[in-house]
Amino acid sequence: MAAEEPQQKPEPLGGVNCLAYDEAIMAQQDRIQQEVRNTHTPQENLLGGIAVQNPLVSERLELAVLYKEYAEDDHIYQQKIKDLLQKYSYIRKTRPDGNCFYRAFGFAHLEALLEDGQELQRFKEVSARSKEELVAQGFTEFTIEDFHNTFMELIERVERRVPLPELLAAFNEPSTSDYLVVYLRLLTSGCLQRHRRFFEQFLEGGRSIKEFCQQEVEPMCKESDHIHIIALARALHVSILVEYMDRGEGGATNPHVFPEGSQPRVCLLYRPGHYDILYK
Amino acid sequence: FEGRPHPVKRLMKEAAELKDPTDHYHAQPLEDNLFEWHFTVRGPPDSDFDGGIYHGRIVLPPEYPMKPPSIILLTANGRFEVGKKICLSISGHHPETWQPSWSIRTALLAIIGFMPTKGEGAIGSLDYTPEERRALAKKSQDFCCEMCGTSMKTALLPLTSGSVSSQADKEAKELARQISFKAEVNSSRKSDSGPSNMAGLNHSAASREPQQDGAARVFQDPTSATSETQSSSAAASQEHAPPVSTNTSMSPRQRRAQQQSQRRAPSSTDFNRVQQPRVNMNHTGSTVLIVILTFALAALIFRRICLANEYIFEL
Repeated sequence: MAAEEPQQKPEPLGGVNCLAYDEAIMAQQDRIQQEVRNTHTPQENLLGGIAVQNPLVSERLELAVLYKEYAEDDHIYQQKIKDLLQKYSYIRKTRPDGNCFYRAFGFAHLEALLEDGQELQRFKEVSARSKEELVAQGFTEFTIEDFHNTFMELIERVERRVPLPELLAAFNEPSTSDYLVVYLRLLTSGCLQRHRRFFEQFLEGGRSIKEFCQQEVEPMCKESDHIHIIALARALHVSILVEYMDRGEGGATNPHVFPEGSQPRVCLLYRPGHYDILYK
Repeated sequence: FEGRPHPVKRLMKEAAELKDPTDHYHAQPLEDNLFEWHFTVRGPPDSDFDGGIYHGRIVLPPEYPMKPPSIILLTANGRFEVGKKICLSISGHHPETWQPSWSIRTALLAIIGFMPTKGEGAIGSLDYTPEERRALAKKSQDFCCEMCGTSMKTALLPLTSGSVSSQADKEAKELARQISFKAEVNSSRKSDSGPSNMAGLNHSAASREPQQDGAARVFQDPTSATSETQSSSAAASQEHAPPVSTNTSMSPRQRRAQQQSQRRAPSSTDFNRVQQPRVNMNHTGSTVLIVILTFALAALIFRRICLANEYIFEL
Protein backbone atom coordinates (compact mmCIF):
# COMPACT_ATOMS: atom_id res chain seq x y z
CA MET A 1 0.00 0.00 0.00
CA ALA A 2 2.64 2.46 0.98
CA ALA A 3 4.65 1.08 -1.85
CA GLU A 4 1.87 1.77 -4.27
CA GLU A 5 1.72 5.50 -3.60
CA PRO A 6 5.14 6.63 -4.80
CA GLN A 7 4.59 4.69 -7.93
CA GLN A 8 1.51 6.51 -9.03
CA LYS A 9 2.13 10.02 -7.85
CA PRO A 10 5.27 11.12 -9.61
CA GLU A 11 4.01 10.21 -13.01
CA PRO A 12 1.76 13.21 -13.54
CA LEU A 13 4.41 15.32 -11.86
CA GLY A 14 7.07 14.15 -14.25
CA GLY A 15 4.69 14.62 -17.12
CA VAL A 16 3.93 18.16 -16.15
CA ASN A 17 7.61 19.00 -15.82
CA CYS A 18 8.27 17.48 -19.16
CA LEU A 19 5.47 19.43 -20.75
CA ALA A 20 6.57 22.64 -19.13
CA TYR A 21 10.09 22.06 -20.39
CA ASP A 22 8.70 21.33 -23.79
CA GLU A 23 6.69 24.50 -23.84
CA ALA A 24 9.65 26.50 -22.64
CA ILE A 25 11.67 25.18 -25.55
CA MET A 26 8.88 25.90 -27.98
CA ALA A 27 8.50 29.41 -26.61
CA GLN A 28 12.21 29.95 -26.98
CA GLN A 29 12.08 28.71 -30.52
CA ASP A 30 9.24 31.02 -31.39
CA ARG A 31 11.26 33.86 -30.03
CA ILE A 32 14.37 32.96 -31.93
CA GLN A 33 12.49 32.54 -35.12
CA GLN A 34 11.13 36.03 -34.82
CA GLU A 35 14.63 37.22 -34.20
CA VAL A 36 16.21 35.28 -37.00
CA ARG A 37 17.47 38.42 -38.65
CA ASN A 38 20.64 39.50 -36.90
CA THR A 39 19.59 39.88 -33.33
CA HIS A 40 20.79 38.39 -30.10
CA THR A 41 20.17 34.80 -29.16
CA PRO A 42 18.98 33.71 -25.73
CA GLN A 43 22.24 31.86 -25.39
CA GLU A 44 23.69 34.94 -23.76
CA ASN A 45 21.37 34.51 -20.81
CA LEU A 46 22.29 30.90 -20.22
CA LEU A 47 25.23 31.35 -17.96
CA GLY A 48 23.40 33.96 -15.95
CA GLY A 49 25.63 35.60 -13.42
CA ILE A 50 28.89 34.54 -14.97
CA ALA A 51 27.83 36.02 -18.27
CA VAL A 52 26.85 39.35 -16.77
CA GLN A 53 30.10 39.74 -14.87
CA ASN A 54 32.61 38.25 -17.29
CA PRO A 55 32.74 39.00 -20.96
CA LEU A 56 33.79 35.97 -23.04
CA VAL A 57 37.04 37.85 -23.71
CA SER A 58 37.78 41.04 -21.75
CA GLU A 59 39.58 44.25 -22.63
CA ARG A 60 43.31 44.29 -22.00
CA LEU A 61 43.96 45.06 -18.32
CA GLU A 62 47.00 45.99 -16.27
CA LEU A 63 48.44 42.76 -14.89
CA ALA A 64 48.52 44.38 -11.45
CA VAL A 65 44.74 43.88 -11.22
CA LEU A 66 45.57 40.34 -10.14
CA TYR A 67 46.81 41.63 -6.76
CA LYS A 68 43.25 42.56 -5.88
CA GLU A 69 41.96 39.06 -6.57
CA TYR A 70 43.81 37.62 -3.63
CA ALA A 71 43.90 38.56 0.03
CA GLU A 72 46.80 40.78 1.03
CA ASP A 73 48.09 38.14 3.42
CA ASP A 74 47.93 35.46 0.74
CA HIS A 75 51.70 35.56 0.46
CA ILE A 76 52.10 32.70 -1.99
CA TYR A 77 49.93 34.35 -4.67
CA GLN A 78 51.06 37.91 -3.91
CA GLN A 79 54.66 36.81 -4.36
CA LYS A 80 53.94 34.93 -7.57
CA ILE A 81 52.05 37.86 -9.07
CA LYS A 82 55.00 40.08 -8.23
CA ASP A 83 57.25 37.67 -10.05
CA LEU A 84 54.88 37.49 -13.01
CA LEU A 85 54.95 41.28 -13.28
CA GLN A 86 58.67 41.07 -14.03
CA LYS A 87 57.87 39.22 -17.24
CA TYR A 88 54.41 40.45 -18.29
CA SER A 89 52.53 43.76 -18.21
CA TYR A 90 48.97 43.04 -19.26
CA ILE A 91 46.30 40.40 -18.96
CA ARG A 92 43.12 39.72 -20.93
CA LYS A 93 40.61 37.65 -19.02
CA THR A 94 38.29 35.03 -20.44
CA ARG A 95 35.01 33.76 -19.08
CA PRO A 96 35.54 30.73 -16.81
CA ASP A 97 33.07 28.45 -18.62
CA GLY A 98 35.28 25.47 -19.38
CA ASN A 99 36.04 26.75 -22.89
CA CYS A 100 38.54 29.35 -21.74
CA PHE A 101 41.64 27.63 -23.09
CA TYR A 102 40.29 27.53 -26.64
CA ARG A 103 38.88 31.04 -26.51
CA ALA A 104 42.05 32.47 -24.99
CA PHE A 105 44.24 30.71 -27.53
CA GLY A 106 42.01 31.70 -30.46
CA PHE A 107 41.86 35.34 -29.55
CA ALA A 108 45.50 35.71 -28.54
CA HIS A 109 46.74 34.17 -31.75
CA LEU A 110 44.41 36.05 -34.11
CA GLU A 111 45.20 39.29 -32.32
CA ALA A 112 48.92 38.65 -32.82
CA LEU A 113 48.29 37.84 -36.50
CA LEU A 114 46.92 41.35 -37.03
CA GLU A 115 50.59 42.37 -36.85
CA ASP A 116 52.21 39.40 -38.55
CA GLY A 117 51.26 38.94 -42.19
CA GLN A 118 53.69 36.11 -42.88
CA GLU A 119 52.51 33.91 -40.04
CA LEU A 120 48.94 34.83 -41.00
CA GLN A 121 49.37 33.31 -44.48
CA ARG A 122 50.85 30.11 -43.08
CA PHE A 123 48.14 29.88 -40.43
CA LYS A 124 45.42 30.49 -43.00
CA GLU A 125 46.70 27.69 -45.22
CA VAL A 126 46.94 25.21 -42.36
CA SER A 127 43.46 26.19 -41.21
CA ALA A 128 41.95 25.97 -44.67
CA ARG A 129 43.38 22.48 -45.17
CA SER A 130 42.33 21.29 -41.75
CA LYS A 131 38.72 20.58 -42.64
CA GLU A 132 39.63 18.09 -45.37
CA GLU A 133 41.92 16.34 -42.93
CA LEU A 134 39.13 16.01 -40.41
CA VAL A 135 36.74 14.72 -43.06
CA ALA A 136 39.35 12.23 -44.21
CA GLN A 137 39.55 11.07 -40.59
CA GLY A 138 35.84 10.34 -40.55
CA PHE A 139 34.24 13.54 -39.30
CA THR A 140 30.98 14.31 -41.10
CA GLU A 141 31.55 17.15 -43.51
CA PHE A 142 28.21 18.91 -43.29
CA THR A 143 28.25 18.90 -39.49
CA ILE A 144 31.69 20.44 -39.16
CA GLU A 145 31.71 22.87 -42.09
CA ASP A 146 29.71 25.59 -40.33
CA PHE A 147 32.28 25.64 -37.56
CA HIS A 148 35.12 25.68 -40.07
CA ASN A 149 33.48 28.50 -42.01
CA THR A 150 33.19 30.63 -38.89
CA PHE A 151 36.84 29.97 -38.11
CA MET A 152 37.92 30.90 -41.64
CA GLU A 153 35.77 34.04 -41.63
CA LEU A 154 37.52 35.21 -38.49
CA ILE A 155 40.91 34.62 -40.11
CA GLU A 156 39.77 36.52 -43.19
CA ARG A 157 38.73 39.43 -41.04
CA VAL A 158 42.20 39.47 -39.56
CA GLU A 159 43.57 39.38 -43.10
CA ARG A 160 41.50 42.47 -43.92
CA ARG A 161 43.11 44.11 -40.85
CA VAL A 162 39.87 44.84 -39.05
CA PRO A 163 40.32 47.11 -36.04
CA LEU A 164 41.00 45.25 -32.79
CA PRO A 165 37.67 46.25 -31.17
CA GLU A 166 35.86 44.50 -34.02
CA LEU A 167 37.80 41.29 -33.45
CA LEU A 168 37.08 41.57 -29.74
CA ALA A 169 33.39 42.12 -30.47
CA ALA A 170 33.33 39.02 -32.68
CA PHE A 171 34.83 36.96 -29.86
CA ASN A 172 32.17 38.31 -27.53
CA GLU A 173 29.33 37.47 -29.90
CA PRO A 174 28.22 34.16 -28.35
CA SER A 175 27.43 32.07 -31.41
CA THR A 176 30.50 33.16 -33.38
CA SER A 177 32.69 32.68 -30.35
CA ASP A 178 31.27 29.26 -29.50
CA TYR A 179 31.54 28.07 -33.10
CA LEU A 180 35.22 28.96 -32.99
CA VAL A 181 35.58 27.00 -29.76
CA VAL A 182 33.86 24.00 -31.35
CA TYR A 183 36.24 24.07 -34.29
CA LEU A 184 39.33 24.32 -32.10
CA ARG A 185 37.97 21.38 -30.10
CA LEU A 186 37.51 19.43 -33.33
CA LEU A 187 41.09 20.21 -34.38
CA THR A 188 42.31 19.04 -30.97
CA SER A 189 40.26 15.86 -31.22
CA GLY A 190 41.46 15.23 -34.77
CA CYS A 191 45.11 15.60 -33.79
CA LEU A 192 44.72 13.35 -30.75
CA GLN A 193 43.12 10.66 -32.93
CA ARG A 194 45.72 10.97 -35.68
CA HIS A 195 48.46 10.36 -33.14
CA ARG A 196 46.53 7.99 -30.93
CA ARG A 197 49.50 5.70 -30.32
CA PHE A 198 51.48 8.56 -28.88
CA PHE A 199 48.72 10.16 -26.82
CA GLU A 200 47.13 7.01 -25.50
CA GLN A 201 50.02 6.42 -23.10
CA PHE A 202 49.08 9.59 -21.20
CA LEU A 203 45.50 8.55 -20.57
CA GLU A 204 44.51 7.20 -17.21
CA GLY A 205 41.75 4.73 -16.49
CA GLY A 206 42.26 2.66 -19.63
CA ARG A 207 40.23 4.92 -21.86
CA SER A 208 40.87 4.87 -25.58
CA ILE A 209 41.72 8.12 -27.36
CA LYS A 210 38.39 7.99 -29.17
CA GLU A 211 36.52 7.74 -25.89
CA PHE A 212 38.63 10.49 -24.38
CA CYS A 213 37.86 12.78 -27.31
CA GLN A 214 34.17 12.08 -27.05
CA GLN A 215 34.08 12.70 -23.34
CA GLU A 216 36.71 15.34 -22.68
CA VAL A 217 37.48 17.16 -25.92
CA GLU A 218 34.52 17.52 -28.25
CA PRO A 219 31.69 18.33 -25.81
CA MET A 220 31.55 22.03 -24.93
CA CYS A 221 32.59 23.27 -21.49
CA LYS A 222 35.01 20.41 -20.86
CA GLU A 223 38.19 21.82 -19.38
CA SER A 224 41.58 21.46 -20.99
CA ASP A 225 44.75 19.90 -19.70
CA HIS A 226 48.30 19.43 -21.00
CA ILE A 227 47.21 16.82 -23.49
CA HIS A 228 44.68 19.18 -25.11
CA ILE A 229 47.25 21.96 -25.33
CA ILE A 230 49.90 19.71 -26.86
CA ALA A 231 47.41 18.47 -29.45
CA LEU A 232 46.10 21.89 -30.48
CA ALA A 233 49.60 23.38 -30.66
CA ARG A 234 50.55 20.47 -32.88
CA ALA A 235 47.45 20.64 -35.06
CA LEU A 236 47.99 24.30 -35.98
CA HIS A 237 51.78 24.45 -35.55
CA VAL A 238 51.46 27.29 -33.09
CA SER A 239 53.70 27.26 -30.04
CA ILE A 240 51.92 27.97 -26.73
CA LEU A 241 53.48 29.04 -23.45
CA VAL A 242 51.53 28.51 -20.24
CA GLU A 243 52.56 30.12 -16.95
CA TYR A 244 51.27 27.83 -14.22
CA MET A 245 50.34 29.63 -11.04
CA ASP A 246 49.11 27.68 -8.03
CA ARG A 247 49.73 27.30 -4.31
CA GLY A 248 52.91 25.32 -4.92
CA GLU A 249 56.25 26.34 -3.43
CA GLY A 250 58.87 28.41 -5.18
CA GLY A 251 57.60 31.97 -5.26
CA ALA A 252 57.40 32.00 -9.07
CA THR A 253 55.07 30.69 -11.73
CA ASN A 254 56.11 27.61 -13.72
CA PRO A 255 56.37 28.26 -17.44
CA HIS A 256 55.77 25.36 -19.86
CA VAL A 257 56.18 25.66 -23.59
CA PHE A 258 54.22 23.39 -25.94
CA PRO A 259 55.91 21.85 -27.84
CA GLU A 260 59.00 21.96 -25.66
CA GLY A 261 61.87 24.17 -26.82
CA SER A 262 59.84 26.12 -29.39
CA GLN A 263 59.46 29.88 -29.61
CA PRO A 264 56.07 30.68 -28.08
CA ARG A 265 53.56 32.81 -30.00
CA VAL A 266 50.77 32.73 -27.44
CA CYS A 267 51.23 33.24 -23.68
CA LEU A 268 48.56 32.07 -21.28
CA LEU A 269 48.24 32.26 -17.52
CA TYR A 270 46.91 29.13 -15.84
CA ARG A 271 45.35 29.22 -12.44
CA PRO A 272 43.66 26.03 -11.28
CA GLY A 273 40.77 25.42 -13.66
CA HIS A 274 41.23 28.55 -15.76
CA TYR A 275 43.27 30.19 -18.53
CA ASP A 276 43.73 33.91 -19.29
CA ILE A 277 45.88 35.69 -21.89
CA LEU A 278 49.19 37.31 -20.91
CA TYR A 279 51.02 40.17 -22.71
CA LYS A 280 54.60 41.30 -22.37
CA PHE B 1 27.70 40.77 -37.59
CA GLU B 2 28.34 39.37 -40.98
CA GLY B 3 28.28 35.62 -41.24
CA ARG B 4 26.97 35.03 -37.77
CA PRO B 5 26.36 31.31 -37.58
CA HIS B 6 22.75 30.30 -37.27
CA PRO B 7 21.01 26.97 -36.70
CA VAL B 8 18.62 27.54 -39.60
CA LYS B 9 21.41 27.11 -42.10
CA ARG B 10 22.57 23.94 -40.42
CA LEU B 11 19.03 22.54 -40.14
CA MET B 12 18.37 23.16 -43.83
CA LYS B 13 21.48 21.15 -44.60
CA GLU B 14 20.35 18.33 -42.34
CA ALA B 15 16.90 18.36 -43.89
CA ALA B 16 18.49 17.99 -47.33
CA GLU B 17 20.78 15.26 -46.05
CA LEU B 18 17.87 13.27 -44.61
CA LYS B 19 15.39 14.02 -47.37
CA ASP B 20 15.15 10.51 -48.77
CA PRO B 21 14.10 7.68 -46.49
CA THR B 22 16.63 4.89 -45.98
CA ASP B 23 15.65 1.39 -44.93
CA HIS B 24 16.54 2.22 -41.31
CA TYR B 25 15.50 5.81 -40.68
CA HIS B 26 13.89 8.93 -42.05
CA ALA B 27 13.34 12.38 -40.57
CA GLN B 28 12.06 15.68 -41.87
CA PRO B 29 11.06 19.02 -40.32
CA LEU B 30 7.38 19.91 -40.09
CA GLU B 31 6.28 22.18 -42.90
CA ASP B 32 5.88 25.28 -40.76
CA ASN B 33 8.62 24.71 -38.18
CA LEU B 34 12.24 23.90 -38.87
CA PHE B 35 12.79 23.30 -35.15
CA GLU B 36 10.32 20.45 -34.89
CA TRP B 37 10.90 17.27 -36.87
CA HIS B 38 9.14 13.97 -37.16
CA PHE B 39 11.15 10.79 -37.55
CA THR B 40 10.62 7.14 -38.31
CA VAL B 41 13.07 4.38 -37.36
CA ARG B 42 13.12 0.65 -37.94
CA GLY B 43 13.53 -1.58 -34.90
CA PRO B 44 16.87 -3.42 -34.95
CA PRO B 45 16.34 -6.66 -36.92
CA ASP B 46 18.18 -8.87 -34.43
CA SER B 47 16.03 -7.83 -31.47
CA ASP B 48 12.51 -7.97 -30.02
CA PHE B 49 11.81 -4.86 -32.06
CA ASP B 50 12.30 -6.71 -35.32
CA GLY B 51 9.60 -5.65 -37.77
CA GLY B 52 8.68 -2.62 -35.71
CA ILE B 53 8.54 0.78 -37.34
CA TYR B 54 8.47 3.56 -34.80
CA HIS B 55 7.53 7.18 -35.14
CA GLY B 56 8.33 10.21 -33.01
CA ARG B 57 9.16 13.89 -32.65
CA ILE B 58 12.49 15.65 -32.47
CA VAL B 59 12.48 19.06 -30.85
CA LEU B 60 15.52 21.22 -31.55
CA PRO B 61 16.60 23.93 -29.12
CA PRO B 62 17.33 27.37 -30.55
CA GLU B 63 20.99 26.80 -29.66
CA TYR B 64 21.22 23.70 -31.86
CA PRO B 65 23.74 22.26 -32.63
CA MET B 66 25.41 23.63 -29.52
CA LYS B 67 22.65 21.99 -27.45
CA PRO B 68 21.23 18.52 -28.14
CA PRO B 69 17.85 17.73 -29.68
CA SER B 70 15.10 16.17 -27.57
CA ILE B 71 13.44 12.99 -28.71
CA ILE B 72 9.85 11.96 -28.00
CA LEU B 73 8.41 8.69 -29.28
CA LEU B 74 4.82 8.59 -30.49
CA THR B 75 4.56 4.83 -31.15
CA ALA B 76 4.19 2.35 -28.29
CA ASN B 77 7.29 0.18 -28.35
CA GLY B 78 7.89 -1.25 -24.87
CA ARG B 79 11.33 0.31 -24.48
CA PHE B 80 10.67 4.05 -24.30
CA GLU B 81 7.64 5.72 -22.83
CA VAL B 82 5.35 7.33 -25.36
CA GLY B 83 5.15 11.11 -25.27
CA LYS B 84 8.06 11.53 -22.87
CA LYS B 85 11.49 12.99 -23.53
CA ILE B 86 13.86 10.12 -23.83
CA CYS B 87 16.64 9.81 -21.35
CA LEU B 88 19.63 8.85 -23.44
CA SER B 89 22.82 10.64 -22.71
CA ILE B 90 22.52 11.96 -26.21
CA SER B 91 19.22 13.71 -25.54
CA GLY B 92 18.35 16.80 -23.52
CA HIS B 93 18.57 15.16 -20.13
CA HIS B 94 22.33 14.85 -20.37
CA PRO B 95 23.45 17.78 -22.47
CA GLU B 96 27.00 17.56 -21.22
CA THR B 97 27.87 14.63 -23.45
CA TRP B 98 26.37 16.07 -26.61
CA GLN B 99 28.85 16.99 -29.31
CA PRO B 100 28.09 19.88 -31.65
CA SER B 101 29.47 17.84 -34.57
CA TRP B 102 26.76 15.23 -34.05
CA SER B 103 23.57 15.55 -36.03
CA ILE B 104 19.94 14.48 -36.12
CA ARG B 105 21.12 11.37 -37.93
CA THR B 106 23.38 10.59 -34.97
CA ALA B 107 20.40 10.92 -32.65
CA LEU B 108 18.31 8.57 -34.82
CA LEU B 109 21.05 5.95 -34.91
CA ALA B 110 21.48 6.28 -31.16
CA ILE B 111 17.76 5.59 -30.68
CA ILE B 112 17.95 2.48 -32.85
CA GLY B 113 21.11 1.27 -31.17
CA PHE B 114 19.70 1.95 -27.76
CA MET B 115 16.40 0.11 -28.15
CA PRO B 116 17.70 -3.37 -27.28
CA THR B 117 19.54 -2.13 -24.17
CA LYS B 118 18.01 -2.52 -20.74
CA GLY B 119 15.86 0.30 -19.37
CA GLU B 120 16.74 -0.33 -15.74
CA GLY B 121 14.35 2.15 -14.29
CA ALA B 122 15.73 5.19 -16.07
CA ILE B 123 13.30 8.05 -16.62
CA GLY B 124 11.26 7.41 -19.72
CA SER B 125 12.48 3.82 -19.97
CA LEU B 126 10.31 0.71 -20.05
CA ASP B 127 11.24 -2.93 -19.56
CA TYR B 128 8.39 -4.77 -21.24
CA THR B 129 8.68 -8.49 -21.85
CA PRO B 130 9.97 -9.72 -25.22
CA GLU B 131 6.48 -11.01 -26.14
CA GLU B 132 4.90 -7.64 -25.46
CA ARG B 133 7.60 -5.86 -27.44
CA ARG B 134 7.11 -8.19 -30.38
CA ALA B 135 3.35 -7.63 -30.25
CA LEU B 136 3.89 -3.86 -30.20
CA ALA B 137 6.40 -4.14 -33.05
CA LYS B 138 3.78 -5.82 -35.18
CA LYS B 139 1.16 -3.30 -34.21
CA SER B 140 3.47 -0.36 -34.87
CA GLN B 141 3.23 -0.93 -38.62
CA ASP B 142 -0.41 0.21 -38.60
CA PHE B 143 0.42 3.59 -37.13
CA CYS B 144 -0.26 6.69 -39.17
CA CYS B 145 0.82 10.08 -37.85
CA GLU B 146 -1.97 12.63 -37.93
CA MET B 147 0.42 15.54 -37.65
CA CYS B 148 2.82 14.83 -40.47
CA GLY B 149 0.66 12.36 -42.37
CA THR B 150 3.30 9.67 -42.47
CA SER B 151 2.09 6.10 -42.69
CA MET B 152 4.48 3.57 -41.19
CA LYS B 153 3.82 1.13 -44.01
CA THR B 154 5.47 3.44 -46.54
CA ALA B 155 7.72 5.57 -44.33
CA LEU B 156 10.93 3.61 -44.89
CA LEU B 157 12.50 1.75 -47.76
CA PRO B 158 12.04 -2.01 -47.59
CA LEU B 159 14.82 -3.76 -45.72
CA THR B 160 17.67 -4.87 -47.94
CA SER B 161 20.74 -6.81 -46.97
CA GLY B 162 22.95 -4.34 -48.80
CA SER B 163 26.12 -2.88 -47.37
CA VAL B 164 24.71 0.57 -46.74
CA SER B 165 22.06 -0.62 -44.33
CA SER B 166 24.34 -2.92 -42.42
CA GLN B 167 26.68 0.05 -42.15
CA ALA B 168 23.92 2.06 -40.47
CA ASP B 169 23.17 -0.88 -38.23
CA LYS B 170 26.81 -1.09 -37.23
CA GLU B 171 26.99 2.62 -36.55
CA ALA B 172 23.89 2.41 -34.40
CA LYS B 173 25.38 -0.34 -32.28
CA GLU B 174 28.67 1.48 -32.02
CA LEU B 175 26.90 4.65 -30.88
CA ALA B 176 24.85 2.82 -28.30
CA ARG B 177 28.05 1.28 -27.01
CA GLN B 178 29.81 4.63 -26.73
CA ILE B 179 26.90 6.28 -25.06
CA SER B 180 26.46 3.59 -22.50
CA PHE B 181 30.19 3.53 -21.88
CA LYS B 182 30.13 7.20 -21.14
CA ALA B 183 27.83 6.66 -18.24
CA GLU B 184 30.09 4.16 -16.58
CA VAL B 185 33.28 6.11 -16.72
CA ASN B 186 33.32 6.93 -13.04
CA SER B 187 32.68 3.41 -11.85
CA SER B 188 34.77 0.39 -12.65
CA ARG B 189 35.14 -0.72 -16.23
CA LYS B 190 32.84 -3.63 -16.82
CA SER B 191 31.07 -1.81 -19.53
CA ASP B 192 30.70 -4.07 -22.49
CA SER B 193 27.87 -6.19 -21.20
CA GLY B 194 25.93 -3.81 -19.00
CA PRO B 195 24.77 -1.08 -21.31
CA SER B 196 22.78 1.45 -19.39
CA ASN B 197 24.10 1.54 -15.87
CA MET B 198 24.22 5.24 -16.38
CA ALA B 199 25.49 7.06 -13.38
CA GLY B 200 23.46 10.04 -14.40
CA LEU B 201 20.31 8.05 -14.88
CA ASN B 202 20.58 6.28 -11.61
CA HIS B 203 21.14 9.62 -10.06
CA SER B 204 18.00 11.11 -11.40
CA ALA B 205 16.01 8.04 -10.50
CA ALA B 206 17.36 8.22 -6.99
CA SER B 207 16.75 11.91 -6.68
CA ARG B 208 13.09 11.42 -7.38
CA GLU B 209 12.61 9.24 -4.37
CA PRO B 210 13.06 11.85 -1.67
CA GLN B 211 10.36 13.90 -3.35
CA GLN B 212 7.97 11.01 -3.20
CA ASP B 213 8.83 10.49 0.42
CA GLY B 214 8.13 14.11 1.04
CA ALA B 215 4.79 13.91 -0.67
CA ALA B 216 3.86 10.85 1.28
CA ARG B 217 4.88 12.52 4.48
CA VAL B 218 2.84 15.58 3.80
CA PHE B 219 -0.07 13.37 3.10
CA GLN B 220 0.37 11.55 6.36
CA ASP B 221 1.38 14.47 8.47
CA PRO B 222 -1.73 14.93 10.59
CA THR B 223 -1.22 11.42 11.82
CA SER B 224 2.49 11.54 12.23
CA ALA B 225 2.29 9.61 15.46
CA THR B 226 0.62 6.68 13.78
CA SER B 227 2.26 6.90 10.43
CA GLU B 228 5.48 5.43 11.71
CA THR B 229 3.91 2.21 12.84
CA GLN B 230 1.94 2.25 9.66
CA SER B 231 4.90 2.47 7.39
CA SER B 232 6.91 -0.04 9.32
CA SER B 233 4.12 -2.55 9.22
CA ALA B 234 3.62 -1.73 5.59
CA ALA B 235 7.24 -2.50 5.02
CA ALA B 236 6.77 -5.75 6.87
CA SER B 237 3.88 -6.81 4.74
CA GLN B 238 5.68 -5.63 1.65
CA GLU B 239 8.33 -8.24 2.22
CA HIS B 240 5.72 -10.88 1.64
CA ALA B 241 4.32 -9.15 -1.37
CA PRO B 242 5.62 -10.05 -4.80
CA PRO B 243 8.57 -7.89 -5.82
CA VAL B 244 6.60 -5.66 -8.13
CA SER B 245 6.07 -2.67 -5.96
CA THR B 246 9.28 -0.81 -6.70
CA ASN B 247 8.93 -1.27 -10.41
CA THR B 248 8.42 2.03 -12.17
CA SER B 249 8.19 0.61 -15.64
CA MET B 250 5.63 -2.15 -15.76
CA SER B 251 3.85 -2.91 -18.93
CA PRO B 252 0.08 -2.48 -18.95
CA ARG B 253 -0.34 -6.22 -18.95
CA GLN B 254 1.92 -6.69 -15.97
CA ARG B 255 0.14 -3.91 -14.17
CA ARG B 256 -3.26 -5.39 -14.94
CA ALA B 257 -2.14 -8.77 -13.74
CA GLN B 258 -0.92 -7.23 -10.54
CA GLN B 259 -4.12 -5.34 -9.95
CA GLN B 260 -6.20 -8.41 -10.58
CA SER B 261 -4.25 -10.42 -8.10
CA GLN B 262 -4.68 -7.63 -5.64
CA ARG B 263 -8.39 -7.59 -6.18
CA ARG B 264 -8.55 -11.31 -5.68
CA ALA B 265 -6.62 -11.06 -2.45
CA PRO B 266 -8.88 -11.32 0.57
CA SER B 267 -9.37 -7.82 1.81
CA SER B 268 -12.16 -6.07 3.59
CA THR B 269 -10.56 -2.69 3.39
CA ASP B 270 -12.28 -1.20 0.44
CA PHE B 271 -13.54 1.61 2.56
CA ASN B 272 -10.21 3.35 2.66
CA ARG B 273 -9.57 2.66 -1.01
CA VAL B 274 -6.01 1.56 -0.58
CA GLN B 275 -4.89 -1.36 -2.68
CA GLN B 276 -3.74 -4.16 -0.47
CA PRO B 277 -0.70 -6.08 -1.48
CA ARG B 278 -1.22 -9.81 -1.64
CA VAL B 279 -0.78 -11.07 1.89
CA ASN B 280 -0.70 -14.46 3.41
CA MET B 281 -3.35 -14.25 6.10
CA ASN B 282 -1.94 -17.03 8.21
CA HIS B 283 1.28 -15.21 8.85
CA THR B 284 0.38 -11.59 8.62
CA GLY B 285 -3.27 -11.46 9.49
CA SER B 286 -2.61 -9.66 12.71
CA THR B 287 -0.29 -7.19 11.02
CA VAL B 288 -2.96 -6.41 8.49
CA LEU B 289 -5.51 -5.98 11.24
CA ILE B 290 -3.21 -3.55 13.01
CA VAL B 291 -2.67 -1.63 9.82
CA ILE B 292 -6.37 -1.42 9.12
CA LEU B 293 -7.09 -0.26 12.62
CA THR B 294 -4.27 2.26 12.43
CA PHE B 295 -5.71 3.56 9.23
CA ALA B 296 -9.15 3.87 10.71
CA LEU B 297 -7.71 5.61 13.73
CA ALA B 298 -5.65 7.89 11.53
CA ALA B 299 -8.70 8.77 9.51
CA LEU B 300 -10.64 9.57 12.64
CA ILE B 301 -7.87 11.69 14.10
CA PHE B 302 -7.42 13.46 10.83
CA ARG B 303 -11.11 14.18 10.65
CA ARG B 304 -11.14 15.38 14.21
CA ILE B 305 -8.26 17.72 13.59
CA CYS B 306 -9.94 19.07 10.50
CA LEU B 307 -13.15 19.63 12.35
CA ALA B 308 -11.33 21.28 15.23
CA ASN B 309 -9.54 23.54 12.81
CA GLU B 310 -12.75 24.49 11.15
CA TYR B 311 -14.31 25.46 14.45
CA ILE B 312 -11.35 27.61 15.34
CA PHE B 313 -11.44 29.14 11.94
CA GLU B 314 -15.09 29.99 12.17
CA LEU B 315 -14.71 31.47 15.59
